[in-house]
Amino acid sequence: MSVDLVIAIVITLIGASTPILIAALGELVVEKSGVLNLGVEGMMLCGAVVGFAAAYTTGNPWLGVGAGALAGMLASMIFAFLTLTLSSNQVATGLALTIFGAGFSALFGQPYTGKPLELFRSVFPPDLSMHPILKVIFGYSPLVYFSLIMVVAVWFFLQRTRAGLILRAVGESDISAHSIGYPVIGVRYMAVAFGGAMAGIAGACFPLLLTPQWVERLTSGRGWIALALVVFAAWKPGRLLIGAYLFGLIATMELYAKAAGGVFRVLPSELWASLPYLATIVVLVLFSLRARGSTGAPACLGKPFVPAN
Amino acid sequence: MRLRLEKRPSPSQFMLFATPLMAVALTMVIGGFVFTLIGFDGFGAVREIFFTPLMNPLKWQDLAVKATPLVIIAVGLSIGYRANVWNIGAEGQYVLGGLSATGIVLLTQDMSGPWILPLMAVAGIAGGMAWVAVPAWLRTRYKVNEILTTLMLTYVSVNLLNYLVFGPWKSPRAFGQPQTIAFSADQSLPYIIPGTIVQLGAPIAVIIALVAWFVMSRSLFGYQVRTVGAAPYAARHGGFSANQTIWVSLLVGGGLAGLAGMLEAAGPFGRMVPQFPTGYGFTAIIVAFLGRLNPIGILIAGIVLAITFVGGEVAQTTIAFPYPAVGIFQSMMLFFLLAGDVLVRYRVRIGNRASAGDSTSEASA
Amino acid sequence: MSDGAPNRLELSGIVKRFPGVLANDRVSFAVRPGQIHALLGENGAGKSTLVKMIYGIMQPDAGEMRWDGEPVTVSNPKAARRLGIGMVFQHFSLFEALTVFENIALGMDASIPARDLESRIRDVMKTYGLTLDPHRQVTTLSVGERQRIEIVRALLLNPRLLIMDEPTSVLTPQEVEQLFVVLRQLAAEGCSILYISHKLHEIKALCDEATILRGGRVVDTCDPKAETSRSMAEKMIGAGLKVISKPAGREKGRERLVVQHLSIPAIGPFGVSLKDISFAVHAGEVFGIAGVAGNGQNALLLALSGEEVAGESDMIVLDDMPIARLKARARRLKGMASVPEERNGHAAVPDFTLADNSVLTARDRIGMVISGLIRPRMATSYTGRVIDTFAVKTTGTKSTAGSLSGGNLQKYIMGREILQNPGVLVVSQPTWGVDAGAAAAIHQAIIDLAEAGSAIVVISQDLDELLSLCDTLAVINEGRLSRPMAVKGADIEEIGLLMGGIHGDPKATETVHVHPENVHAPAP
Repeated sequence: MSVDLVIAIVITLIGASTPILIAALGELVVEKSGVLNLGVEGMMLCGAVVGFAAAYTTGNPWLGVGAGALAGMLASMIFAFLTLTLSSNQVATGLALTIFGAGFSALFGQPYTGKPLELFRSVFPPDLSMHPILKVIFGYSPLVYFSLIMVVAVWFFLQRTRAGLILRAVGESDISAHSIGYPVIGVRYMAVAFGGAMAGIAGACFPLLLTPQWVERLTSGRGWIALALVVFAAWKPGRLLIGAYLFGLIATMELYAKAAGGVFRVLPSELWASLPYLATIVVLVLFSLRARGSTGAPACLGKPFVPAN
Repeated sequence: MRLRLEKRPSPSQFMLFATPLMAVALTMVIGGFVFTLIGFDGFGAVREIFFTPLMNPLKWQDLAVKATPLVIIAVGLSIGYRANVWNIGAEGQYVLGGLSATGIVLLTQDMSGPWILPLMAVAGIAGGMAWVAVPAWLRTRYKVNEILTTLMLTYVSVNLLNYLVFGPWKSPRAFGQPQTIAFSADQSLPYIIPGTIVQLGAPIAVIIALVAWFVMSRSLFGYQVRTVGAAPYAARHGGFSANQTIWVSLLVGGGLAGLAGMLEAAGPFGRMVPQFPTGYGFTAIIVAFLGRLNPIGILIAGIVLAITFVGGEVAQTTIAFPYPAVGIFQSMMLFFLLAGDVLVRYRVRIGNRASAGDSTSEASA
Repeated sequence: MSDGAPNRLELSGIVKRFPGVLANDRVSFAVRPGQIHALLGENGAGKSTLVKMIYGIMQPDAGEMRWDGEPVTVSNPKAARRLGIGMVFQHFSLFEALTVFENIALGMDASIPARDLESRIRDVMKTYGLTLDPHRQVTTLSVGERQRIEIVRALLLNPRLLIMDEPTSVLTPQEVEQLFVVLRQLAAEGCSILYISHKLHEIKALCDEATILRGGRVVDTCDPKAETSRSMAEKMIGAGLKVISKPAGREKGRERLVVQHLSIPAIGPFGVSLKDISFAVHAGEVFGIAGVAGNGQNALLLALSGEEVAGESDMIVLDDMPIARLKARARRLKGMASVPEERNGHAAVPDFTLADNSVLTARDRIGMVISGLIRPRMATSYTGRVIDTFAVKTTGTKSTAGSLSGGNLQKYIMGREILQNPGVLVVSQPTWGVDAGAAAAIHQAIIDLAEAGSAIVVISQDLDELLSLCDTLAVINEGRLSRPMAVKGADIEEIGLLMGGIHGDPKATETVHVHPENVHAPAP
């Protein structure tokens, strides 16, 4: 394999991984607070369509990202109100959010079909971002750097700050946190809002980073894969990064395999398209094989909390 | 002023049945209002989507056609959901059911006889079961979450469908169209009401709902499923195997979704095409919840959701209301239902303090 | 207030209502500086509700609270800590997956630099003789060590009132003594202590004053040292103590349950493995298993009931039949009944009706299922019989299990098993969280079943309960069972050391002291 090909692979796989990484980082924080929001896919779709609309209307991709974040956060607040304030079933509510996001994006995405989109310019000078070798470091969309900064930021927040400690405590034992005086529901609202914003940004990544046009259901299950990655990563941000890039490699494998030629040329493209989903299942099995004993899951994950006044 | 929840000593049976009706009513009112706000004819849409299909007898046969797969799939899902087994990939099992039936069609191309259709049904059920057996095995053997695996396999099933209809199963007479050959008369469902489009699937859906109702409410198996879902440790204490319950409930759910796929393929579709996955498997989740996981309730909820599908098409032609908005109405129903769930388990109070003597006065509030 | 200083804490007319219950009805009492004040009452008397209001977790519906003579409103635990109120919870408010240090940091209201906090923790531990490794994860600690975290956490805030909610229910007698030393030292330094308990001998040993609650009301405030245990118990329970009738000199019959060399690996990351457990229970015998929580009691119950199947088939023998390879249902058919510790969600399904809950464990022996279909009438009539025989207070067979009070639900569950006439009954924590009336009824039912020729195993953390109920007693510690000893003439100190296991004196299990004194006598 030539250096050029390796660089091309790295750049493609990192791009493909970025939305999943961002969405999974958000969901990791949500789950650390003890809430299971299965609506990632729905929030991503909301963020994608609103992000597209904003970026298309204003011509400014940054506003697209901001609008996507806001849309994801608003969608997540529906979930938060139902599950946290009304203590509804988290699994069912997450599914409802996904169905909602699909309808929402289908409805509001319709007018944008076939419209072109302005993309991010590189944050680095062309000497670096277009350099045949150095572009492997400098040649990405700002969203990629954002995702990497967020990996460190989420890790630092959870492990090194008092607020992060409180968030983990709430996810570990809501009753204990409540009895020493922490606002369990309030903390969870904030976590869900963060997760929603991240999912919204992840959704906006599809038009703003991957394919600069509107395609219905463009997230095609990436939100669910993000959920699986959180499990695979044992709720650790660093492992999430590895998992997401591994996934990106698999998702883009068709390109390299076709380039490699031989037997790979005759395999049907549907098989390649199925690979990420099959790989996700394999990854979940591998994780369960390894996780003898503690999985690292927050003890209160998915359990509703209703304080007695 | 804030919302406060007060646990009821036991779930309110009244609210259990009242909340689905409230959810539908709220969806009409608030949905109409919201769509009006964002510039659509919101209340016109509510009228066309929720009432026109009911008022117009010509549309009733469409309701039966749409409700059939929804009811069959939702009944199967409801059994799993009762046991806290979350199969959300019914869409994939439905596709596999359709593909298995199509496989029989291709094998019996030049044959005839009344045995073909039952064979297709068996194949459809087996296909759905086989597709869900993987998540069932992974869940019971490796404790892998079935939510993610069933859903992942749905994406795989769509790729499998595309591969087959674009590739080996493509009809030679289709002029390059991705579709299989048309099913013959012996490979298609008979019409049961002359002059309509209502086929054999509709009565089958009713029978399945009735049988499921009897099994779930009267048999020890139904008791076992309910116990495993409500209190897994108690179920173990009572000598019920959680793994067996997971297996059976997933196989029933997958089998019924597969049957629905076969009935659609041999019914309305009449051949296999890439448009076969229409989202029934996902909408059936709403049907199952709106029907309170009760097969009779599901029968009614299936008709309600069928009304929105048919009404959505009506609204599109009569007042140019965008069809994708139907999905928003449907998910709103589920949101309001889940919000209403709180009334089943809790009394909702407003304000900070419980006032004196209020503990007995509002038993059903 | 003889010395003129204002009371540290004074409550007057505190009222708290829950749906259908008046938890606290015009409660008034005062705690002086440096006083160890007992709050005494049986389960459900309203003690926990009261202290939750003092600590700001709940708000009273009416009444006044004064702190150093000034009226105050404690709107949340933070406000309580600001006043100088510390609390050690009954069910610990700890985070299992976090370290000792993180747990303590969470109890601080300000963000304190890690190094400062650690040195302050070490200071407090040194002053009060409490040892802990700040960097260990809580899951790896014993119950006594966990309580120490809570105490350290409370002491770091220099409290002027420390609330201890049932602190000794999970401790060995030796750990209780260590705790009392700390509490007396604190009181001597001027810190008031509100000590919640229903254990009379502890209160007599430790407290200066006792406020007795019954049914949410203060029935008396007295000097525990001037009272007898019996007089305080009568005030606590009201209408005279029911004494269970235990016929003396019962003959033990044949062996009905024999457990030999039962070893089972731990289930789950926090499970306890059972190691080479052997004992035998005869017809008519009540066999007690004492021990501190989390030493394998759950695993033992699951292994006996058949909810977990492991080992060789002759490791458990029921009436000469090897049953260790049989599952729960098959064992029940052969006459093995069990009542697990957790009522809601394990022994019963809270959302199911009582009739449906009878189907759970009585369906085979009572014939509630024919060819796969449930016979609701059989379930209802059997449930009605349980309700009548065991005086279960409920609106009928159609009320849900979750709507019953703890005591009534336990009576129903015990009745459901006992009326099936089991050969062996294994019951864990039979009177946990149950009011005194129901507890007496449950104890009587156990004795009566033994009288009728069944063999009974009672697993309990409440040593007093076991001593009054059982004929034979063994102690479980870290999955090992001590040799059985006759309750008559048993030595409470030895039992305590066995309960402490390696957390106490490792040599203790080998040394057997024989003291002639009666174990029922309260400590001096």
